[in-house]
Amino acid sequence: MINLKVVSPQKVIFEKEVEMAVLPGAEGDFAAMPNHSPFISSLRPGQMAIMSSNKVDESFFVSGGLVMLKEKVCEVLVDQIEPLSDVNSSNYQQSKTYQELEGNETALGTFEQVVNNPPYK
Amino acid sequence: MPNLKELKNRISSVKSTRKITSAMKMVAASKLRRAQELAESSRVYADSLSFILSSLAGNTKNSADLPEILTGRENSKISLLIINSSDRGLCGGFNSNLFRNAKKWISDQQGQGKSVKIMTVGKKASSFYKKTDLDIVASFEDLNSNDRQLQVSEEIKNKIMKLFENNEIDEVSILFNKFVSAISQEPTYQSLIPLSNEETSEGESEANNAIFEFEPDKNELLEYLVPRNFLTQIYRSVLESSASEHAARMTSMDNATRNAGDMIDRLTLTYNRTRQAFITKELIEIISGAEAV
Repeated sequence: MINLKVVSPQKVIFEKEVEMAVLPGAEGDFAAMPNHSPFISSLRPGQMAIMSSNKVDESFFVSGGLVMLKEKVCEVLVDQIEPLSDVNSSNYQQSKTYQELEGNETALGTFEQVVNNPPYK
Repeated sequence: MPNLKELKNRISSVKSTRKITSAMKMVAASKLRRAQELAESSRVYADSLSFILSSLAGNTKNSADLPEILTGRENSKISLLIINSSDRGLCGGFNSNLFRNAKKWISDQQGQGKSVKIMTVGKKASSFYKKTDLDIVASFEDLNSNDRQLQVSEEIKNKIMKLFENNEIDEVSILFNKFVSAISQEPTYQSLIPLSNEETSEGESEANNAIFEFEPDKNELLEYLVPRNFLTQIYRSVLESSASEHAARMTSMDNATRNAGDMIDRLTLTYNRTRQAFITKELIEIISGAEAV
């Protein structure tokens, strides 16, 4: 298990033990698992998935940020984060994240594509 | 002899003043709690960010590889001071302490042959520095009323990045009242450009032990990180300052309430004495009148 800590500029959003977390790194998705080599990366907008035994337990949309990975700790400094299901609902066009990121190409396509068709299901 | 009616009016006006100050004290106390929580919860992010930054900067052997905005320019000429004041008064020496401190700092800088520009945060600072002949590059007001702290911090960050790129400033420092405890706040400087050593040395020993891999490469990461770090530091100073403001207001209003109480006691004593004196005087008049008959 690895300690996943998600922090925004205002507060600690959550902190819990997870088996694996998949994060949208600037140069490609990567999985944070225990005993990963020390690693720092920036994040592109995309999906953050918390997984256990090959199933996605929880899914979030992150608008960008930083991640610091150590042996047993994974600290994610996010700009904005929302559960993907919230962004996914019909009113997501009104959401602030959406307005800021509209038309912003990510490696996986536009924000809309990530939301409508998340890479990890 | 004081007029009884006058005394009565005075007592009632001091009483209503006391009501106001004690209400302000309670409001400040509850706002302080919130501001303190916010300041504390934002610390996690700031600490992690400066840890990452220090491990990035620490990993780079040659400091010449680091961008100018991190290490500062050689022989800098113009320094910018960001002053975090409050929007409202009635908070004791909160602002005047700050301005006195800033004055010293400014003359220090000028003594070193640098020119000083000012950026004000809060109404008090902008109205104070308007009267001086210092160059004010920008003023930001009304931060705390609508939870605009993060948004304003962002604006400040953008402004200083732009000024730095245009070579209009070479150094940036922030001055704010650091929240030490509910009864003590101390004016504190923090250097943004160049990044203060304190900040980098904080987790340095640990940061140097763990060799991180970076993705994308360091320079790109720094490009992202430096503005983020500014934002976080500014945001943090704004939050600290607002916590300090409420704390200062709470203590000064507590004092004011107590002073008003003392004053009421004294006035009531005088009032009672005067009234008694009047009664005695009247009695004497009646008795001596009766004796005369």
